Amino acid sequence: MDFLSKFRRQVKLYLFWVLLAENALLVAAWWAVHTYHHELSPLYTVIGMAVLGLFGTLLVSDAAEKRITQPFITLWQAIHHIAPQGAEEPAPDLNQKQLGHELVANLASHVYQLASTIQAVEKTNSKVAQDLHANFIANSLPLPLIVLDKDEMITYANEATSKYLGKPADDLAGQNVYTALDMSFKSDDTLSTWLKNSAGKTATASHKWEHVRIGLPGQGDSLLFDLAGYYNKDNSLGYETLLILFDHTDVYSQDDQAMSFVAISVHELRTPLTLLRGYIEVFDEELGPTLTPELKEFMTKMDAAAQQLAAFVDNILNVAKIEDNQLTLQLHEENWQNVIENVVGDLNLRAGVRGITIKTDIAPNLPTVGVDRYSIYEVLANLLDNAIKYSKGTDEIYVSALLNKQGLVETSVKDFGLGIDASILPHVFDKFYRNHRNRAQIGGTGLGLYVSRAIVDAHGGEISVNSKVNEGSTFTFTVLPFSQVQGAGKTLGNPDLTRNAHGWIKNHSLYRD
Amino acid sequence: MDAAKPKRILCIEDEHFISELYTRALTRAGYKVDVQLDGQKGMAAAQTDVYDIILLDLMIPNITGIEVLRTLRNPAKTPKMHAKIIITTNLEQREDIRADIEQQADGYLVKAEITPRELVEFLNKLDI
Repeated sequence: MDFLSKFRRQVKLYLFWVLLAENALLVAAWWAVHTYHHELSPLYTVIGMAVLGLFGTLLVSDAAEKRITQPFITLWQAIHHIAPQGAEEPAPDLNQKQLGHELVANLASHVYQLASTIQAVEKTNSKVAQDLHANFIANSLPLPLIVLDKDEMITYANEATSKYLGKPADDLAGQNVYTALDMSFKSDDTLSTWLKNSAGKTATASHKWEHVRIGLPGQGDSLLFDLAGYYNKDNSLGYETLLILFDHTDVYSQDDQAMSFVAISVHELRTPLTLLRGYIEVFDEELGPTLTPELKEFMTKMDAAAQQLAAFVDNILNVAKIEDNQLTLQLHEENWQNVIENVVGDLNLRAGVRGITIKTDIAPNLPTVGVDRYSIYEVLANLLDNAIKYSKGTDEIYVSALLNKQGLVETSVKDFGLGIDASILPHVFDKFYRNHRNRAQIGGTGLGLYVSRAIVDAHGGEISVNSKVNEGSTFTFTVLPFSQVQGAGKTLGNPDLTRNAHGWIKNHSLYRD
Repeated sequence: MDAAKPKRILCIEDEHFISELYTRALTRAGYKVDVQLDGQKGMAAAQTDVYDIILLDLMIPNITGIEVLRTLRNPAKTPKMHAKIIITTNLEQREDIRADIEQQADGYLVKAEITPRELVEFLNKLDI
């Protein structure tokens, strides 16, 4: 629709009617004067008509002006309405019937459209400027900064991030944070559990993690960070989560190096042990039938010594783990009688060499227990090993197990040997503590009981000792029936039944492919 | 064991004396054993040849045992992998790392805690 030609037609028509009305007025005036006052002289006739014509023209032009200028006024109002300084000007009524109604409405809507476009451009400009400032600040920050949206996708990573992690920030952006980065936390208090608990549930939240290993997936190098997270649900720009990384690799890696020193020492000790045990076996296989009883006994003792050394190496490692809070247990349902008989079977060789018999007395119908097979084996082996060493002159050791009044499975290892003096009894579970009087006669490192107590503690049980000099010692420890362990695991929502020395932890994977 | 077709074992182990002891015990038990001394050669052998069992040490030169395990367990990199992978190591891991390795492997043995004969007994019980 050509609004403009319609408008011109309307104006032309309007002017036609106005001029026609003006002419009609003049004709009517002339006719009236001529009819009623024909005696008037032509001069007065002309003057009268001029006066009447003047008033008529004034009236008509006044009416016409209003009609003809209305469209311009409407547009003027529209422009002023959207002008920056004219906010108080009300918007014109575009529905009002006026000359060139469609044209005016059309033009006004163009004006409004233009204004909103300008506004949008201005807004964008200011946002871009803001982004540039933010970018500058973020990139000047010497700490890695990572921004996540509500879907845990990385929307931004600053230059420090790429410097620390060795990957351009642009490559990180657009990736899911869990696939872009390999993060391992010390416990089940992880980024994902925090976000799961915070996202959408609280308006804002913040959290801090210590000793988080962060690197790129599939690459060996990773650094140790403290990690701070800030969650903001209503962030209009979609930056829901900010992560700031504090590099503490220098500090933390010292602990790790201490651990790895032990780990490497253990590795180096175990290699010759493996060979020793292997070659002893070969000798036994090849020469066994031909050896004299005395040599055969030496062979057995040699193997027992190698096994003892292997057990000691394990204890060193356990001490390091306990002190580094890295002792973790995988609790499984076990038949306690089987566990005990397994250990007793293995230790019988060493006891037999010294002429000692290990007797067991296990209550029937014990409930199954929740234990870490390997760790609890060490406890029993340590207690039996001590009993063998301190049995001096006596020839029996008793191992008994029963369900005690507290509903715990209680196990005792009793010997009839040297016994422990009351004054040192409170210290026997201390690290490196040994009975000075007996040090010369009896081997040992003073680690076994320390390790045993830590393992029993971690199982949620207790260990204690009763002893009298020259009458012998009884070491007693408890473990939980599996039903109780399982109950605790369920209550904590931890199906993996993993514990460390300080309680339940959730098993988590370090490696993700 | 099928006497006509001995089961094949690849032993990836850099400690010569240990592989010697293991080879001796395993050969006597009827297995056919190949030894590779580093991760790279071991991985290449595992990818090109067909083995029933792979004994994998973790602390080995060139490519670590963990990397070898990952590659062999990745179907994209090693398709048609049927061998049981048994970790044989003296290296102590953090428990969570160990749990992760155990999950990917078919067995985890600390060499100092077993004799060659016990290794044979363990392998004999495998379902292959």
